[in-house]
Amino acid sequence: MLWACILLPQLALDSILRERDDADAPLVLIGGPVQRRLLQAVNPAAAALGLRAGQTLTAARALADGFHCVEADPARIEQLQQLLAAWAYRFSAQVSLQYPRALLLEVGSSLQLFGPWPLFEARLREELAALGLRQRIVLATNPVAARMLANGHDGLALTCADQTRAALARMPIARVGLPAEAAEAFSRMGLHQLGQVLTLPRDALARRFSAQVQLHLDQLLGLRSMGLNFYQPPDRFETRLELNFDVESHQALLFPLRRMLNDLAAFLAGRDCGVQRFCLYLEHVEGPDTQLQVGLLAAERDAAMLFELARGRLEPLRIPAPVRNLRLVADDLPPFVPQHQALFDPRAKQAQPWEQLRERLRARLGDEAVKGLRAEADHRPECAWQPAEQGAQGSLPALPGSRPGWLLPTPQALEATDHILLGHAERIESGWWDGGDVRRDYYCIETRDGLRGWAYQDLAQPGPLWLQGWFA
Amino acid sequence: MNAPGYAPGYAELHCLSNFSFQRGASSAEELFRRAREQGYQALAITDECTLAGIVRAWQAAKAQQLRLIVGSEVRLQDGPKLVLLVQNLTGYQNLCALITRGRRRAGKGDYQLFADDLQQYHEGLLALWIAEDCDDQATGRWLRGLFAERLWLGVHLHRGSDDDRRLSRMRELAAQLGIRAVACGDVHMHVRGRRALQDCITAIRQHCNVAEAGRHLFANGERHLRALEQLAELYPADLLAESLVIAERCQFDLSELRYQYPRELVPEGHTPASWLRALCERGLPLRWPSGPSSKVRAVLDKELALIEELGYESYFLAVHDIVAFARSQHILCQGRGSAANSVVCFVLGITELDPMAHRLLFERFLSRERNEPPDIDVDFEHDRREEVIQYVFRRYGRHRAALTAVVNTYHAAGAVRDVARVLGLPADQVDALAKCCGRWSDRIPDDQRLAEAGFEPGSPSLRRILVLAGELIGFPRHLSQHPGGFVISEQPLDHLVPVENAAMAERTVIQWDKDDLDMVGLLKVDVLALGMLSALRRCFDLLQRHRGRQLTLATIPSEDPATYAMISRAETMGVFQIESRAQMAMLPRLRPTTFYDLVIEVAIVRPGPIQGDMVHPYLRRRLKQEPVTYPSEKLKEVFERTLGVPLFQEQVMELAMVAADYSPGEADQLRRSMAAWKRHGGLEPHRQRLVEGMLRNGYDLAFAERIFEQIKGFGSYGFPESHAASFALLCYASSWLKCHEPAIFTCALVNSWPMGFYSPDQLLQEARRQRIEVRPVDVFHSEWDCTLEPDRHGVLAIRLGLRQIRGFSEVDARRLEQARAQRPWRDVEDLCLRAGLDSRARARLADAGALRALAGDRHQARWQVAAVQAQLPLFAEVQAVPEAPVALPVPTVGEDLVADYDTLGTTLGPHPLRLLRSRLRALGCRSSGELAGVEHGDAIAVAGLVVGRQRPQTASGVTFVTLEDEFGMVNVVVWRDLAERQRRALVGSQLLKVSGRLEQENGVRHLIARRLEDISPLLQGLDVKSRDFH
Repeated sequence: MLWACILLPQLALDSILRERDDADAPLVLIGGPVQRRLLQAVNPAAAALGLRAGQTLTAARALADGFHCVEADPARIEQLQQLLAAWAYRFSAQVSLQYPRALLLEVGSSLQLFGPWPLFEARLREELAALGLRQRIVLATNPVAARMLANGHDGLALTCADQTRAALARMPIARVGLPAEAAEAFSRMGLHQLGQVLTLPRDALARRFSAQVQLHLDQLLGLRSMGLNFYQPPDRFETRLELNFDVESHQALLFPLRRMLNDLAAFLAGRDCGVQRFCLYLEHVEGPDTQLQVGLLAAERDAAMLFELARGRLEPLRIPAPVRNLRLVADDLPPFVPQHQALFDPRAKQAQPWEQLRERLRARLGDEAVKGLRAEADHRPECAWQPAEQGAQGSLPALPGSRPGWLLPTPQALEATDHILLGHAERIESGWWDGGDVRRDYYCIETRDGLRGWAYQDLAQPGPLWLQGWFA
Repeated sequence: MNAPGYAPGYAELHCLSNFSFQRGASSAEELFRRAREQGYQALAITDECTLAGIVRAWQAAKAQQLRLIVGSEVRLQDGPKLVLLVQNLTGYQNLCALITRGRRRAGKGDYQLFADDLQQYHEGLLALWIAEDCDDQATGRWLRGLFAERLWLGVHLHRGSDDDRRLSRMRELAAQLGIRAVACGDVHMHVRGRRALQDCITAIRQHCNVAEAGRHLFANGERHLRALEQLAELYPADLLAESLVIAERCQFDLSELRYQYPRELVPEGHTPASWLRALCERGLPLRWPSGPSSKVRAVLDKELALIEELGYESYFLAVHDIVAFARSQHILCQGRGSAANSVVCFVLGITELDPMAHRLLFERFLSRERNEPPDIDVDFEHDRREEVIQYVFRRYGRHRAALTAVVNTYHAAGAVRDVARVLGLPADQVDALAKCCGRWSDRIPDDQRLAEAGFEPGSPSLRRILVLAGELIGFPRHLSQHPGGFVISEQPLDHLVPVENAAMAERTVIQWDKDDLDMVGLLKVDVLALGMLSALRRCFDLLQRHRGRQLTLATIPSEDPATYAMISRAETMGVFQIESRAQMAMLPRLRPTTFYDLVIEVAIVRPGPIQGDMVHPYLRRRLKQEPVTYPSEKLKEVFERTLGVPLFQEQVMELAMVAADYSPGEADQLRRSMAAWKRHGGLEPHRQRLVEGMLRNGYDLAFAERIFEQIKGFGSYGFPESHAASFALLCYASSWLKCHEPAIFTCALVNSWPMGFYSPDQLLQEARRQRIEVRPVDVFHSEWDCTLEPDRHGVLAIRLGLRQIRGFSEVDARRLEQARAQRPWRDVEDLCLRAGLDSRARARLADAGALRALAGDRHQARWQVAAVQAQLPLFAEVQAVPEAPVALPVPTVGEDLVADYDTLGTTLGPHPLRLLRSRLRALGCRSSGELAGVEHGDAIAVAGLVVGRQRPQTASGVTFVTLEDEFGMVNVVVWRDLAERQRRALVGSQLLKVSGRLEQENGVRHLIARRLEDISPLLQGLDVKSRDFH
């Protein structure tokens, strides 16, 4: 087997630079705790100012002005690595992210398709360069050797074990991935190259160093293999059902639809995830497919519920032409969080679970008509009370009972004569930090018609009462 | 409730100041001013479980002539929230004890109180129960059982959503329990306008953004000292009136506190005064073996009379006791500062300098007018001070001795940082903004500074940050411990002031700082640390051991010409005070020949004299380049010893007395104003008085004005002569030792490190240049400390100690010493096993080359120690299979050098620059040894390790760089514009090449840099630590 290691030495920095149009301006990547910010990487322009990775930000500021600081974002790097693995997966079925900032590919089996190696290598470099990523590529006879040789080489291609061993022997001891204390101990013994270590008697080494060191040396030489974790492409569900005859009625589509959704439910259960959104394609004899998007407020995987939903969406649909085939695609498969149910379910027989009711309402009334409500911890009523795609679980703790459950989109001025004030004012003064400072006295009011509302007097700008909501 | 416009009588009983850290948003001063303006009849300060702010509140109350009620808000772990108000002295003592209990139980900054604690400490306290929704009648009944008619139900009304319901529920609860309800405001700020700051500090406390703080913030700004009319609108009249009833019952005033110094200091049959006199009589013959002169007698009597009159005998006895302990433990100590003005301190052994011989001013130390406790600071050996501190705790008990607090307040940078952070500014912008403030500034940066740093000064969000940060500056932030200020008392301290835990284990701290203590009349003793005392004590020990000579600070041969000659050559590396670069540059010009010259040398190279432009006139007069003149015969007496140039605080005081008719006490006032004017102003009245006085006494206006300007320049930096003299004594002693016993001196300094300006490497390199042999670390000879090894002729060589090995612990070293004392090492394995060294410690020894005698070079040593395995008892008898030797590379000279610096921080091999010399020569660099032959003004280049970089405040942007090579040091001056242009080479170089012009004057040599070049790559991995900018 042959292994290529693609090392991306500046992945974090490149991931930022490739999105900036001023990539030549001095830029540093910073990380670490607030008290001790460290430079994690610097671009060439910043290096020209004397900035180095590992400096504290304070030291860097003492050294130079006028460089940009960007916060290092591990999540973003992780995402990019996944993307790169997916990219590499096109070239090899065995792709590993075993080492950070590096891709390991088994390429022996791919050479037939993409080879010979120089051509293959050139293609990899070209595509990576197009992604804006600097790279080092080494080919060797085992993955560990390929990775470690990439620390000191670029463009090396070793196709037999002896070559690999010879190249390894010339590597500095500190760069071959040994545990730090072992590498330090070797260099303190005057052994600066791996080759010097490899000539030592095995038992003398075993007596002095942990088994881990010997294991690593063996893996480097390909004497023992390393259990690599291979990249798995993400899950996606797609299924297609040929109907054999042309169908024109909704009714006739329901049965095959139920079957497909049962499959989907089984798939979801097997992966312990739910579906947030799926798409049903009605393939016609002629013309483009009719698409039916089904979105859910929360991830679900109950077959009956998914069917109910899909049916709710399908029935109002006008079918433009006879349907030949059905296709179902689901990409959005987040983890499923089940609802706990009591052992003795207290719900009445005919009552529907809330989730089901909610989805049915949405299916019938349209997505826009059903909203969730969320409470933000903010003293300003209009900030505390927020419509949202996804509602809060349970009751809204931050809303005191003295406020209406539903606020008007914008407050309305009240005629002075139309109402009376009930009780004392509630004073709210808050929000100065975002420029939206309010200073108000709130009152419960009752109109001549007996309607009860909630209104305020603006203390900063005296004027009429402003109605902000009605009590139910 | 009440008719509009009706203003009832009211006293606020629940109010937090900014000493409830990150809660209260106003200072006591602001609160009292506001309360008086609003016509409140009294104001309670009830900071949460603390009395740290109460002395300031007391001052504010006196200033506003409004009554202070002392109290505290506490929340019990297993019970309700209460406001406790002090009714009388017993109540105050109980509150102190209660707070102490709660604070001592918890970590720093926190407290924990339980119902049981209250059971014990409730007498003399009134309680307002701040009932919350969850509180029930049972709690109320328990409280009523405890406090009886001293319990009220506190009612907060802040225009919330259900004030009406709340009020009626509270009244109902009170009625059910048969107690009365009272209005109180839960005040967090003096005016509504502090609402934003209060939100900010709440967010700081909660470690979140203001926008995220949500329900942690108050809904409105009602928690301020509201106008009485507004209160009348909200509260029923009886609830307001009740506050006055309570206020009337709280009659305690802090002036009732009585403080006593410990009694055990005085033996049976003596009064403090008679005992102090007895101790002085005992000390007199030690100081004046031939008997005191009548003048000494007279001064001593005068001092004792004043001490007795002011009642400070016990204070002197306490300091004497601590000093006596240190002496008994062989710990070197010396009083510093103004105490050196006192004959009493001298004869008690607190200070080492004869005040009679140095015409020191007792008034500087203690004066009748000042009516303020004296302040005796004593320096102890820095690595043994803890013994002294623990002695004090032991002698008086933890309940009677504690350290004083330091109130850390917000400076501009910290305030900007905290406010900007909670307002959601990104972290790097927060840093950049804080940087605009400078380090210790108390002012918000101006627009220009902000614009330079890339901020838009006009933007609303920035304005918000700056305004709020401006309000926060000066706010107390937290309490920390004073490094050595002790309070000792006859009664348990927690009857006077609450005591809490310090961040360091085994220490307790009172809640008041130095100024608070002064206000309340508590005396403090400063137990300070000084590295040079440790070094001197070690010198004396080594002298005793190797030379059989017993010396003390007092018996070192005085006025030794050889010592002064050495000082005049500026060969003072390692010597106390005069080893800095600025001092060294002054020495060849000043050429001290007497002790008093040293006193001047210590005092003159200081920011005060430099800014007051006193250095050059003095030098010119000393070098006889300008005549010495005095404005009058009377002033000649004052200024004669400094050639007519005022250098010391005492001289300014004397000048005021002689030329402008100040009394001694008034002159001391002048000194204090001098020290503080930069921060607080207040020098103007003195200007008028001085100038007028001097004109009246016949001095001309120009002279008077000039003197005044000099006084101003003095600022807070001028040294008192007494202090300079104490320091000069240490300076002379260390110089004498360096001159006559350089090996002993170096050994003691290295063992006392960290201290002083120079690293052990620099000190050892200097010793080797003086041809002192330095021997390597060796497991057969080295102890933990560096030691001295005499040869047949008594010449001492320094043996490096195991302490020089980085990462090697003293515990391991001591075990090694013990095991070696039993029998010498057989082999590496014998050493490792008998000394119980773990693999880390073994590796350190091997890498440092300490195993050379056992295992050969460090590569072989490391190989061998790696093979040593812990012996299992079962196999103890089984001989290990012998290994075939392995050929390892022999370390090169360069490798050894790098490893030496890496493991020992110094090398005994060739100096790194010697290895590089031929390459440096090729670069056109000269060595420091060749500079003597260079003419003044010649253009040359040198290269050296950067061992120091300093940019003194007084030197207007000049950076002083010190380079070291194998022959010594080169002083480089880098002007500001070059520093700006070549900042990278200046800041980033380890090995620096400097081209420039050499200046030589009076034996002082500087290279004025014209070009800097970073040639560090020549060094590869050398580890030379450089001191950074200060």
